[in-house]
Amino acid sequence: MNMDDAAPAASPTTRSTPIWRRPVSRRAVLATGAAGAGAAALAVLWKGNDLSQILNRVQDLTRANQGALSDPRVRAGHLLRRAGFGGTATEIDRFAAMTTTAMTQAALDYQQTSNAALDGQLPALDLTSAKGPNAGAIQAWWLQRMVQTARPLEEKMTLFWHGLLTSGLDKAGPAQMYVQNELFRKMALANFDDLLKAVSKDPAMMVYLDTETNRKGKPNENYARELMELFTTGIGHYTEDDVRESARSFTGWTLQGGPQLRYTTQAAFIPRFFDSGQKTFMGKTGNFTGDDIVEMLVPLRATAERLSGRLFSFFAYPNPEPEIVRHLADTFQQSHYNVGTVVREIFSLDAFYSAKAYRALVKSPAELTAQILRATGADARGFLAAANAMAPMGQLLFYPPNVAGWPGGTSWINSSTLLNRINFANAAARRGAASSPAPTVDQLTANLIDGKVTSDTRDGLHAFAAVHPDDHAGLLFMALATPEFQLN
Amino acid sequence: MFSRRDFMKQGLVPVFAGSAVPSIFANGVAAAAADSPHAIPNGRILVLVQLAGGNDGLNTLIPFQDGAYHDARPTLRQDTGVLTLNNQLGLHPNLKGLKASWDAGQLAIVQGVGYPSPNLSHFASMSIWETASVQGGIGDGWLGRYLNYLDQVGESPNHALEGVSAGSLVPPELRSKTPVTALQSLSAFRLQAVNEHGTQVDEENPIMKFYGGFKTSGPAPFGALLDTTLQEALLASHALQATDATYQAKATYPAKSPIASSLKLVAETIVSGLGVRVAHVTLGGFDNHAREKPVHDKLLLDLDQALAAFMQDLTGHGYGDKVLVMTWSEFGRRVKENGSAGTDHGTAAPMFLLGAPVKGGLYGEQPSLNALDNGNLKFTTDFRSVYASVLQGYLNAPASELLGGSYEILPLLKA
Repeated sequence: MNMDDAAPAASPTTRSTPIWRRPVSRRAVLATGAAGAGAAALAVLWKGNDLSQILNRVQDLTRANQGALSDPRVRAGHLLRRAGFGGTATEIDRFAAMTTTAMTQAALDYQQTSNAALDGQLPALDLTSAKGPNAGAIQAWWLQRMVQTARPLEEKMTLFWHGLLTSGLDKAGPAQMYVQNELFRKMALANFDDLLKAVSKDPAMMVYLDTETNRKGKPNENYARELMELFTTGIGHYTEDDVRESARSFTGWTLQGGPQLRYTTQAAFIPRFFDSGQKTFMGKTGNFTGDDIVEMLVPLRATAERLSGRLFSFFAYPNPEPEIVRHLADTFQQSHYNVGTVVREIFSLDAFYSAKAYRALVKSPAELTAQILRATGADARGFLAAANAMAPMGQLLFYPPNVAGWPGGTSWINSSTLLNRINFANAAARRGAASSPAPTVDQLTANLIDGKVTSDTRDGLHAFAAVHPDDHAGLLFMALATPEFQLN
Repeated sequence: MFSRRDFMKQGLVPVFAGSAVPSIFANGVAAAAADSPHAIPNGRILVLVQLAGGNDGLNTLIPFQDGAYHDARPTLRQDTGVLTLNNQLGLHPNLKGLKASWDAGQLAIVQGVGYPSPNLSHFASMSIWETASVQGGIGDGWLGRYLNYLDQVGESPNHALEGVSAGSLVPPELRSKTPVTALQSLSAFRLQAVNEHGTQVDEENPIMKFYGGFKTSGPAPFGALLDTTLQEALLASHALQATDATYQAKATYPAKSPIASSLKLVAETIVSGLGVRVAHVTLGGFDNHAREKPVHDKLLLDLDQALAAFMQDLTGHGYGDKVLVMTWSEFGRRVKENGSAGTDHGTAAPMFLLGAPVKGGLYGEQPSLNALDNGNLKFTTDFRSVYASVLQGYLNAPASELLGGSYEILPLLKA
């Protein structure tokens, strides 16, 4: 039942080390009130049990999990899952031989890595016809990128931005969503103010949140509100008047093209649409533009803490300690709002490799699907089928449920989504190309789930392999259906 | 005695033999599947229809005689075809099915529903409605608390199908301490364990063991969540597959209509007699900041046609007097339309309660269009008063306990 390589507690720490520089044990975290509250908040999200039971279990697990990330290969697997879509045996071995700093550099400095092999594989998307590509084409295209890219963090950050600065095919057209996706990729680790200025003029966003209709004398509040509520400060840091005045400031930008606005990918500034009057926003008055609003919102501490918290929760674990959020917010502000600097810092924290971070995230359907396809192989038709199969798992690419994006975490797991996750693993394993020689149980678990499995899982896989020695696809399916693989 | 292979031939997910049988399989589903609706002590079923994005209440229940409405809605007003309820108010022209229910005394409309200090954020306001708390938050939903109550008083089969939602996510209203099932289709709701070579129907057995072992040694809360969820899923799947072949819709549901598909799935689950107590469906797309009219007209048409088929189907199966449908939306829209032929976020809006259990008619008070708060309607009935009326008057549950406060009970429902 126990984790196989549970090692003794990590090395002692000195009191002067700030919390984010120390390996964090679950027990230490529970001893602090704030983190206890974080665990409680996570626990009540889950409908199936009562709180006291869950907290007891957290305490029990402290012992079993403390040494989770002392093994270099486990650390490499953890980073490759978080900064990308999981590693192959070769990639895990290569990263395991590096220092933590070198691993971080290898993940982050992807600009130096050629993606020519991927570019050669990707299908051409038709952007020239009036309607551009269809939804399935861009969904399959992005999934293929996640599976075959040589720059996994670039795709992972694109996924992060898609979930934060949301737009969706329920309003925007596929060509627009493709252009937005390429914007996120290009500015994946850019300065946040630059990214927000670009997003404010992005055709998909302009359709999704109605800025393309926002005109002088006819303000439309949709984008102005979500820019503050969801993209920057969060609720509680602005007034309804700020929403109205911000909407006036974002007038002037619209889309150029025919009546079918969802097929238009060109934005333009039309001076006569711009409300050039005085606006009063957050206590300041002037003839503000949308860019001015972004420049006032991004430096706010609430923005720094909110974005830092979102990034840490995306990469490490939910409900980060206030000390960690403050530290990352400082990093964000001192780096002129540079997202790459914050991400680099997250991967440098001991907290990222702590027991608390290990398997602390549920694989999103995008992560699950991409990792399954990396393990089983997929051809061109396979990407489209797999992209469609993500819908019943709860995440259809380019179709977030609403402007707040996917809620994630425990909400990925319910009776319906779990059956679909397991069924997809089965179908993918059955249609995938068999690798030769077929991997053993130990090789499968080492590369897919760090070799850290319960005795039930290990014994069950060995028993299956003994009874069905020729059913390699079946064994691969079983490994992909494990509870260990559902977590990231 | 069935072998596993026999189960598979019949399209059933096998019940596991031997020591790996989870105790949850020993009761619940088999018993629940055998229950007729009449065997449930309080067999009443509530179906929530969420109009996500903020439905334009003024263009749903229309004050067609009010000059202020015409002035505020130069392009969006409904000038013709309003289905009049009295000399002031009428339903949107596309709500013909609801108008028929009104004429039959089976539609109650509560006017001007909202809450104090309205929040214009979709997500904050949804959370307020979902938890029935003006603080919102991530606690159990108001109907989740009702499911908890059913378990406490032993009036529930306590299995995964007492709360169902159509879709891939469990909605926050149903967040509870008891299992709730998200359904997308009955045929897909099963573990496809037979491989293409037709062998190994026993594959599920070790998978269940994997999850059982991970329950205690996996990281909290995921270890237990994954195990419980898989058990729930197989339990519900087993019960559903057993009834899959017997359901025949007794109404024609509109094609290519997601809300109709959702309601049909709920009807199928209800009439299969699996002990559904609350169900949830969502119709999204109401956040019409721009070019509202064609979009909103279509949404109301889809809603109306889907509800009409749903009620006909349930009635045909003898469930007509056991099901209450209630609509809600996180807010209405701004009274004055914006410059994009749309409407921005607003406040109060009407709620519809539909079905044989209701006492038809208008309730509450229509908010004045001439006494606005920042351009928004002032609510006249607290939404928790509607919830309390349904909990107490229909579900026979202790409303003030479940809502954490006492609210006026409206005489919306027959005894």
